[in-house]
This record gives sequence, structure tokens and C-alpha cells, in this order.
Amino acid sequence: MKIEILKEIIKKKSSDEQFAVLTNLSNGSSEIYKLGIPLSKNFINYKNEIENYYNLKKSGIINNTEILIQNYIKPIEVIIIGAVHIAQYLIKFLKDLNFDVTVVDPREYFTTKQKFQNIKIINKWPEEFFKNIQSNSNTALITLSHDPKIDEPALKHALKKKFFYIGALGSKKTHDNRCKRLKDEGFNDKEIDSIHGPIGIRLGGKSAPEIALSIVAQLVSETNKYKNL
Amino acid sequence: MTQPFKDTILEEAISWIESDQQVALATVVQTWGSSPFQIGSKMIINEKGNFLGSVSGGCVETSVITECVELIKNKNSFKKIDFKISDENAWNEGLACGGEMTVFIEQIN
Repeated sequence: MKIEILKEIIKKKSSDEQFAVLTNLSNGSSEIYKLGIPLSKNFINYKNEIENYYNLKKSGIINNTEILIQNYIKPIEVIIIGAVHIAQYLIKFLKDLNFDVTVVDPREYFTTKQKFQNIKIINKWPEEFFKNIQSNSNTALITLSHDPKIDEPALKHALKKKFFYIGALGSKKTHDNRCKRLKDEGFNDKEIDSIHGPIGIRLGGKSAPEIALSIVAQLVSETNKYKNL
Repeated sequence: MTQPFKDTILEEAISWIESDQQVALATVVQTWGSSPFQIGSKMIINEKGNFLGSVSGGCVETSVITECVELIKNKNSFKKIDFKISDENAWNEGLACGGEMTVFIEQIN
């Protein structure tokens, strides 16, 4: 591979937009591909197949060819509502697992920088936060504040935008009450059932890192299901 | 989970080259069965056999390193290597998990 291509890949990575690296395994040539960019003679014969793999965000050798496509897809964004103790452990796991993480909490005293280093902390109410960002099904929401006036606007937004994972901390009783309120607001049973509540898989632990682990295990499992759809 | 946007192996490759090392890049391009690493997993290797990153759970790294050092020494530009449990060298370089994989190695220049 030419060093120029390598440098171009690194540059493209800073934009967070999908692109692909194509390699012709029969002659070793590589180039960067984005939808709409013309292909060189090494790849032009496989235009349709390349487009197809690109749209499916699939990486690998294209069937019956010697063309390798490696798709660079924007990382999944995890939005955590509530800069609580559990969030600190959650962030550690999420970083190692290559998620992008943003923590939102309107309570400034919860979000001092010492507790959350190298992480996007937003001191805003969720309604205000979501107004200014683009979110879609490629986003996950974890609400941890278990204060309805902080968590619920975020949950409503995530339901409307069909986030692939929505989880809400709180006991079964808290969650039942939450569901009742969402129903009164006009959300249907299917939407409400899509919320993982109480959040996490059953590990039986009660400490903050154990709860974080149970949440992250559920999130990874749901992410893998979502990515293989 | 592999996330190419977050992987910094290519950045490392550049810094190795800038410090006058010769570098080969190994990439997992195909897997079958229970091979543990995903397509796109990468490793870089220099002319001395120093390496960074990985392409398997340690099963085929030694062979990949040897092949890359050879590639650099012979000034070849690329090679495709298939690893199968049925290879005659299975004991040395087969995947104990019973999977199969293809690794593409190429010199960066």
C-alpha cells in the first residue's frame, strides 16, 4: 500500500463520515471509495458490487472476485443521561468497546471535570441537548438519573427517533410508573416495550461497577443484533 | 468490537515509517468457521520482526511476522496467506479453534 493512501485514510477518519478502502488482492493496489466518487481502472469493473457492499456497510472480499472492501463506519454514539457514579464505570467499558460517549446532566455539581476526563459532558437539559444534535437509529440512550424530569424527555426523544437501544435505570416499580406516564403521553405498548427497564442483564450485583457491567453487556448484545440486521 | 475509526494502528505505521523503519501491514481479509478475529483486524511488522496489533488470538502471529520479514527482505509488495487447520504445518501455524482465515500482507512504501 502506498503511504499516501495510508495518510489519506487517517485524514478521512477524522471526519467520522463513512468511507471504504478498496484493495485489489490480485495486484495489491488500493484506493479510497465514497459513494459517487469515480473508481479507477483497478476497480471499475466491480462498481455495482462495491456500491452494494458499501450500502450494506459490509466488509470483506466481494464474492467471486479478488476485491477487498473495508468499510469505515461512524462509531455508535451512546448518550448517557445522568452523570452519576455508575456512569463513571460505564464510560470505562464503553471506551474500550469503541463506542462514542456523551454524558448529559443539567446538574452542574454532578459533572465536575475530575470525575469525567476526556469525555463529552453536556450541562444541559435533555430537551435542549437533543435540539442541537443529530440523532438517529444509530444512537443508544442510557438514562441513569432516575429523576423523571431529567430522564423522561430523553426517553421520549429516543422513542420518537427510534434509537436501536434504549435503557432506563430504576426498579421494576419505578419502571412501571414510568411506562404508565409514557402511555398517558400517547406512546403505544410496542414503543414502551422497546425500553430496557429495569436496565441491564441479570447479574445479581448491586455495586456501581457491577451495574455498569450488566448495562454494558446488554448494550453489546443489542448492538450486535442491530448490526447484523 | 472492532471499530476502524478508533483503531490507531495506521497512525502507528506512519510513525514507524517516519522513524526510518520498513513496515508491512497484515490485514484479516477472510474468515471461516470459528476464527476469532474480524475482517479488517490489523497488525504492523517491521524489518526486524517487531510488531503491533494482532490478527488472531496469537495462533498465527508468528507465521505472519515471518512472512512479513521475508516480504520486506525480498522487496515484494504483497502476498495472500491462507491459514487452515488442515495445513501440514497445522501444529505450528494452524488455528487451534478449528477456524480458517486469509491474511493479506503488503509492504507500505
